[in-house]
Amino acid sequence: MTSFRWGLIKQQMSVQFLVRTLNPFFLGLFVIQPAVFSAVGMLLSRAAGNSTPDLVYNVIGGGIMGMWSGLVFTSTYDILGDRRNGMLELIVGSPTSLNLIEAIRTLTNVLSGLFSLGLAFMAAILIFGYTFTGVNFWGVLISLVILLFSMWSIGVFLANFLAWSRLSGTFVDYLEMPIAFLCGFMYPIRVLPVWLQYISGAVPIRWALEAMNESLLGSFDLNYLVVHWLMAIGLSNVFIVLTSWMQAKVHDSIRLSGELSSI
Amino acid sequence: MIDKFVHIIRIYFAEAWLSYQGRFAITSPFGYIAGKLGFPFFLMLFFIFMGKYVGFSDPLYIVIGNILLIPAASGMGGVTLAIGEERQWGTLSYVLGSPAPRSPVFMGRAFYYIVDGFVTALLGFAIAAGLFGLDLSQVNILLLMICSLLIAVTSSGLGFLFGSISLVTRDGWMILNTFLSFLYILVGVNFPITSLPLILQKLSWGLPLTRGIMAARLVMEGEGWSAIRSLIAGEALIGLIYILIGYLFFMFLEKRSMQSGTLDAM
Repeated sequence: MTSFRWGLIKQQMSVQFLVRTLNPFFLGLFVIQPAVFSAVGMLLSRAAGNSTPDLVYNVIGGGIMGMWSGLVFTSTYDILGDRRNGMLELIVGSPTSLNLIEAIRTLTNVLSGLFSLGLAFMAAILIFGYTFTGVNFWGVLISLVILLFSMWSIGVFLANFLAWSRLSGTFVDYLEMPIAFLCGFMYPIRVLPVWLQYISGAVPIRWALEAMNESLLGSFDLNYLVVHWLMAIGLSNVFIVLTSWMQAKVHDSIRLSGELSSI
Repeated sequence: MIDKFVHIIRIYFAEAWLSYQGRFAITSPFGYIAGKLGFPFFLMLFFIFMGKYVGFSDPLYIVIGNILLIPAASGMGGVTLAIGEERQWGTLSYVLGSPAPRSPVFMGRAFYYIVDGFVTALLGFAIAAGLFGLDLSQVNILLLMICSLLIAVTSSGLGFLFGSISLVTRDGWMILNTFLSFLYILVGVNFPITSLPLILQKLSWGLPLTRGIMAARLVMEGEGWSAIRSLIAGEALIGLIYILIGYLFFMFLEKRSMQSGTLDAM
């Protein structure tokens, strides 16, 4: 059983890399778009009269932006592609659950996004001379793992969302910027109006990202970090439970009506 | 001569109508509004808060620039889609095999995109006036409309260029989108082009939109025709040059593909 699962994971990840990740479109999402956003941040900073850019938000924030954009589009295109190619019914009808397949695919997508974050860190170090002096290394590392988990939980939710409803495909793409804007990918959350900060509190990415950014800025406040980590983990679990619940309901409905294509 | 002219005009509007039916007539109101205003709106908010954090004190500068980018993106995307989608659906060979002149066929397809972008930009200004307190009381609306329309038309020249590129690569749409994202930096959408390094400033003056956006900003500040006419003339000239380059590039690729018979094989 265990070896079967490893085989499944290996196979799905391999296919996902080949089909979804390694193509020019995602190169644009992971590399070019974050670079452009970082450049806009730096030039805005320059226009405002600052002599040096903010490396954490302008440069590394660009990498986070790349991770998120890549995740939104890869996860939603997975189901769109399956549906368009007539594969969705076959996958749903196979003994392996759609949820598990989407979980593995999304994990691949999230891990692919690390490429974007890695490039941002490299740019910060090699181009801008970022030294990591005073950085809370363990804080950054733990926050990053939790950030990946948060992104994964939302990615699985979004991927399955398109299996539940064909109509959702018309607006899932538009989540890219609202989430980036609400979670403060390239600026601290405190610059948002208070009511928007409350709304962004429902997104686990916001909490993990805040903890990571504060750790990068040298915060060793364990209370602050633990609260943020727990909030991110808790909210991610809410998304996972919601995904499982919705999937069970939709699969029951599909089995009764036999009409996956009409959903 | 007159018959030929009427024939070209007829083709232009027939293609425009077909393009409208093919894309806009099937769009639901939600999808249309979300697609037209949703992404640009949240992107604009993102840039505004990015600017607020770094101390850029003029959010309306970002608001106006991003609204003016809407007709440009629409004009460019329209022509690129007109050519690229023919290729994607395998109908390009039939279009090119027909005796109809190319220019009205493909420019006609862009007509509704240009009109659509223009109207969306005006709608964007009205929304921005309500949401961000954009003061339109001193603005010459007719001049603002001229600037928005000019931006949409001149950017369609770039669309012709990217549409032609989509004849030689299947990633034409991706290349256009990448280029569009560079416009956030290069044409004075989010900050004045004087903030750019010198070499990028020179590049910026060689692109459509830069002068059009500057002219529209002057109109928003209450300036009249005399203050913007040189910018408008420059924008029209640059746009014309790009339309010509795009058209010649398209004709070159068409001729080459006719000789090699490999139009859809790439």
